Amino acid sequence: MRLLVLVVLAATLMVVDARFDTLKPVRSQLGLVLTPFYWLADLPVRIWDGVNQQFSSRSELLAENEKLKAEALLMQRRLQKLAALTEQNVRLRELLNSAALVDEKVLVGELIGVDPNPFTHRILIDKGERDGVFLGQPVLDARGLMGQVVEVMPYSARVLLLTDTTHSIPVQVNRNGLRAIAVGTGNPERLELRHVADTADVKEGDLLVSSGMGQRFPAGYPVAVVSEVIHDSGQPFAIVRAVPTAALNRTRYMLMVFSDPRSPEQRASEAAQAQEAHDRQLAEQAKKQDAKPSAEAAPAPAPAQPARPAPASAGGAR
Amino acid sequence: MGEHNGWLIWASYLVGLLLSVAPMPDFMELGRPLWLAMFITYWILSVPQRVSLTLTWLLGLAMDVLYGVLLGQHALTLTLIAFLMLTLQQRVRMFPLWQQSLVLLVVFGLAQLVQLWLNALAGNRPPTLVFLLPALVSALLWPWVFTALRSLRLRFNVN
Repeated sequence: MRLLVLVVLAATLMVVDARFDTLKPVRSQLGLVLTPFYWLADLPVRIWDGVNQQFSSRSELLAENEKLKAEALLMQRRLQKLAALTEQNVRLRELLNSAALVDEKVLVGELIGVDPNPFTHRILIDKGERDGVFLGQPVLDARGLMGQVVEVMPYSARVLLLTDTTHSIPVQVNRNGLRAIAVGTGNPERLELRHVADTADVKEGDLLVSSGMGQRFPAGYPVAVVSEVIHDSGQPFAIVRAVPTAALNRTRYMLMVFSDPRSPEQRASEAAQAQEAHDRQLAEQAKKQDAKPSAEAAPAPAPAQPARPAPASAGGAR
Repeated sequence: MGEHNGWLIWASYLVGLLLSVAPMPDFMELGRPLWLAMFITYWILSVPQRVSLTLTWLLGLAMDVLYGVLLGQHALTLTLIAFLMLTLQQRVRMFPLWQQSLVLLVVFGLAQLVQLWLNALAGNRPPTLVFLLPALVSALLWPWVFTALRSLRLRFNVN
């Protein structure tokens, strides 16, 4: 008798959970206990890592330090170039009268658990509602897009990875802008492009970037690299397989992106205003310098200095 | 009379929940044993009066939250397992260990089948028959689990 009641109860719960939103808050509150649980389950791994770090030899650390320094140097060089390029990009885009590619705000999260079900590709991260994480938020790592948030709990969130069979993402071939949909296959090292014409210009080694068409993922982030293109005359479409650029099953830290909620027009007008303000400022400075060139001959480079960060701060305001 | 040492049962449930989410290498994840179901089965076979269906149902609900699947999915299968074992309990406890393993294989296999149906209804169906692997692994592990839990039960005198 008890069995019957419990079975019916379970069935009702499932139907309600699947069809209606009423259980969502309950679920998210129950999720509170989840974080310590996964933390506890993960403890042996953490302890092992800690011990490993304690006893890794000094020479190894030195070598790693050297490597990181070299990497930092390389990055800084790139960054210098990037500042100039960003500025140039903003100007060109203004000439084209389109919105500037903005730097989105990001939040760093840490992996706390992997879905124990081997047929789904989902992970648990240590940032939740309290940190501003929202449903559908894009998640990426240092190399590319990883997936999106599908469940938000107070202190944690579940992320559906790109390679899950239920996930697809609109992409673009970086080389020529060809649009396609990349679908997860359940294999952590493979995505497939759906409905690509046999004659489409896709080659092995092409980089696929997010196209931003679905209004969910920001445009321009690397998603995958095409690994093989099979033309089978028996199939209506070409079979295109790609390898995700993000280290989906290795990354421990990931970034959650907060996209700009403003429309492209708003962004464009605000960008233009900021640029105008900046130009005016420059003009005033130049006038000042013209007015008293002899008096401020010595600190002449000083006023030129604030002119440098100015575009950066204007970029931050956008 | 108040001394049942029931805390050991609770502790085993907690460990079972932990083990069912503990990180494992990918290839082993396919055959992750049904720890919680195994522990519940053991307590049903040894001290049936201390296991209630309602508690099993609640434990299943906890699993659902941990796994992030539809609420009620594991609750249903765990309750089914507990019910079947409770009805078979009188006979199964007399069996030698390997026969118990066989019974477990069938019961857990049934539960996994139900799980598969529910997953299919929810929209994600695993492509192969490997969903039966956990039942097989659990059955193979059963003699060891049984022996370990029995020694624990005898030491702490759970009744």
